[in-house]
Amino acid sequence: MEDIFYWCRENNTIQVRLWLDDTENDFNKGDDHGFSALHWSAKEGHTKLVEMLLARGARVNATNMGEDIPLHLAAAHGHIDVVLMLIKAKSDINAQNEHGNTPLHYACFWGYQHIAEELVNHGALVSLANKDGDTPLDKAKSLLAKRLHDLAIESGQELKKISIKDNQWLGLKTRSRDATLSRYKGINIEDLKLHTKVSISPSGETWRGRWQNNDVIAKILTIREITPRVSRDFNEEFPKLRIFSHPNILPLIGACNSQKHLVTISQYMPRGSLYDLLHSAAGIVVDTAQAVRFALDIAKGMAYLHSLERIIPEFFLNSFHVMIDEDLTARINMGDCKFSFQERGRIYQPAWMSPETLQRKRADRNWEACDMWSFSIVVWELMTREIPFVDLSPMECGMRIATEGLRVQIPPGASAHLSKLIKICMNEEAGKRPRFDMVIPILEKMGAKF
Amino acid sequence: MDKSPRSPKTPTKFNYEKDDSSFWEKFSTLGRKKKIKEVQEVQEEGKYAIDSPGMPNAPEIPPEDYNLEDNEQRSIIQPQCLNLPQVRDLLQLLIDWINDELVEERIIVTNIEQDLYDGQVLHKLWEKLTGNKLNVLEVTQSEEGQKQKLSVVLNAVNHTLGFHHTMPKWTVESVHSKNIVAILHLLVALVRHFRAPIRLPENVSVTVVVVKKSGTKLTAEKFEEQITTTYDDVGMKCERDAFDTLFDHAPEKLQVVKKSLVTFVNKHLNKLNFEVVDLSTDFRDGVYLCLLMGLLGGFFVPLHEFHLTPKDQDQMIHNVAFSFDLMQDVGLAKPKARPEDIVNADMKSTLRCLYNLFTKYRNIA
Repeated sequence: MEDIFYWCRENNTIQVRLWLDDTENDFNKGDDHGFSALHWSAKEGHTKLVEMLLARGARVNATNMGEDIPLHLAAAHGHIDVVLMLIKAKSDINAQNEHGNTPLHYACFWGYQHIAEELVNHGALVSLANKDGDTPLDKAKSLLAKRLHDLAIESGQELKKISIKDNQWLGLKTRSRDATLSRYKGINIEDLKLHTKVSISPSGETWRGRWQNNDVIAKILTIREITPRVSRDFNEEFPKLRIFSHPNILPLIGACNSQKHLVTISQYMPRGSLYDLLHSAAGIVVDTAQAVRFALDIAKGMAYLHSLERIIPEFFLNSFHVMIDEDLTARINMGDCKFSFQERGRIYQPAWMSPETLQRKRADRNWEACDMWSFSIVVWELMTREIPFVDLSPMECGMRIATEGLRVQIPPGASAHLSKLIKICMNEEAGKRPRFDMVIPILEKMGAKF
Repeated sequence: MDKSPRSPKTPTKFNYEKDDSSFWEKFSTLGRKKKIKEVQEVQEEGKYAIDSPGMPNAPEIPPEDYNLEDNEQRSIIQPQCLNLPQVRDLLQLLIDWINDELVEERIIVTNIEQDLYDGQVLHKLWEKLTGNKLNVLEVTQSEEGQKQKLSVVLNAVNHTLGFHHTMPKWTVESVHSKNIVAILHLLVALVRHFRAPIRLPENVSVTVVVVKKSGTKLTAEKFEEQITTTYDDVGMKCERDAFDTLFDHAPEKLQVVKKSLVTFVNKHLNKLNFEVVDLSTDFRDGVYLCLLMGLLGGFFVPLHEFHLTPKDQDQMIHNVAFSFDLMQDVGLAKPKARPEDIVNADMKSTLRCLYNLFTKYRNIA
């Protein structure tokens, strides 16, 4: 069958590129055995493809059914270039598969000395036992074993055997997503099993549930009346939110359009939104380093959104609309976009909006620059860990931003870099605000310091 | 926002003066200018010939019309009256109303006397307002046929308006002879009965000259004829509720209700530095209603959705209709009143609307 996995095996870069350009395609999905595109490319040693996939943000630590991450496969098949790329992309170097083997186990077993040395140099443990109690050194032939032993001592490794702990794989691994997720868009409301109501907001009720053995979040939209026109607009608009092709965007998986309800389905994110993380006792410490990482994630997601054709359901950036993945990746939630018929004339979070968003129609303003303003408020929020204008009701807040020049204040003693970034992004003149692709390198530079 | 279709505004005379000052005009020679004028005049004349009613308006009253029988009396409106601003307002308002009502029939009325005397427009208007059908000929040419049709139509109208024992101020004869006073009375009665969404100028009166012939003597007397009075309710009629009772039987309690409503709205509007003084007029432009919905519903109303400083009636109606939409969006019942009723400063409609907000949101800080 000709599919993305086939093209990755066959090193068909053109087909892969075309496939990646379609936003509805989820490059983190796996095939029947949970092999993602990156798994296949790493296994076959196609450096070009690995490079392309990593550049687009494919998950480097995704696992297949055997709990292998791409690094296992690259090491086992002797692709040194790919191994180095994956290490550079922060692969979990001591990831253990279902047998408890690490990439180093395979490199030793197959006698790839060069790879084994690189792995040890990057922190692979020579004495981590698999389920049978064997360490990589046990798997290596005597000469290689000797060399690795010396290397390990040089880098100060403990040589006492580390036995496998089954709960160890909680770390960075996330299994390749079920391939079925991106396959359906129209979902039968009867197939949804909703079990817990999470919240009620003016836009609708949010429920947790199961669909096709996946944990999902279903949002039942509050609509005064589902007219044929609303139903038609919904059908036209929701597929545009199925953006699977960027790691910092959380796509809408699908939707139900029944006569009584309009429901949108997204992946369940146990950590909740950035707002929850910052302003409730979530037990996660957001230090400046983490704040910069979140800001970078958001900027990448927004830059990608802006690179697409303008999407019709409007997305308003604020910390409610950014979700946090298990691995602390921030993802722009497409499920929080506003359909054209939704909440018309009502803005519930004006604090994050630019003065012109509050006053002018979308057609009459530079909406990309408006997003940049919202981004600066999110950065302010990350920096201060406060809710902007918390003591004002939305109506008062909006009126004062729009007509009286109310702005967030940068507290004394704040990070000079972040403060400067906020000021640049909040330029009163929309045309003078930077674009997201200009902000990314600045944040990357800041992030490199931590 | 589903607003009923509004007809285009009644055409007013084309303004040539403005045309004259156009940029291109400056370049043309005087001779050309004259030619353009001639062409325009001919065009205008042609247009008039096509659009003018079938019965040309005779420039002079034919002799038989002012020949009075013995003891006959006739009332004629004093022509100067028609130029009084309030009378002109009233005429324009009525014409706009008829055109709004009959927009689907593609009927455009431009002149009250000329367009209503034959019963054709009245027929359609009655059918539109009552939703009933009237079995008469659609088009009649002869005077006899016209009168016959008019009498059937007026019969139906009088029946609807409830004239069983009293005599209406109009007759088939007076309407057909284009007596503007009779036609005005008829239209005002219709507006009041059906609570048309317009606010009539109050206490409009015209001067009527009554000419009487007794023997060989002609006597003329002047009368002030009142066309409209004052109205305390211009809102749509609906099922009687507590507010009707308050208005009719407990005016002192009404004051208390008004006072507590003013306190309630000001508590919230003060946050934006606004203050309501007079309930009946301060809400008619819809601005406070929109702001109040945001304050009470916990959202911001984007300023492009309504007119913060409305310039005309249409913008006010838009504002009120938009606030009604917001009310329904947050789960309040559809207001009984029409947006026009609030804009027309109908006290009862405004109070009902605010009271609805009050019952839902009285407890929020």
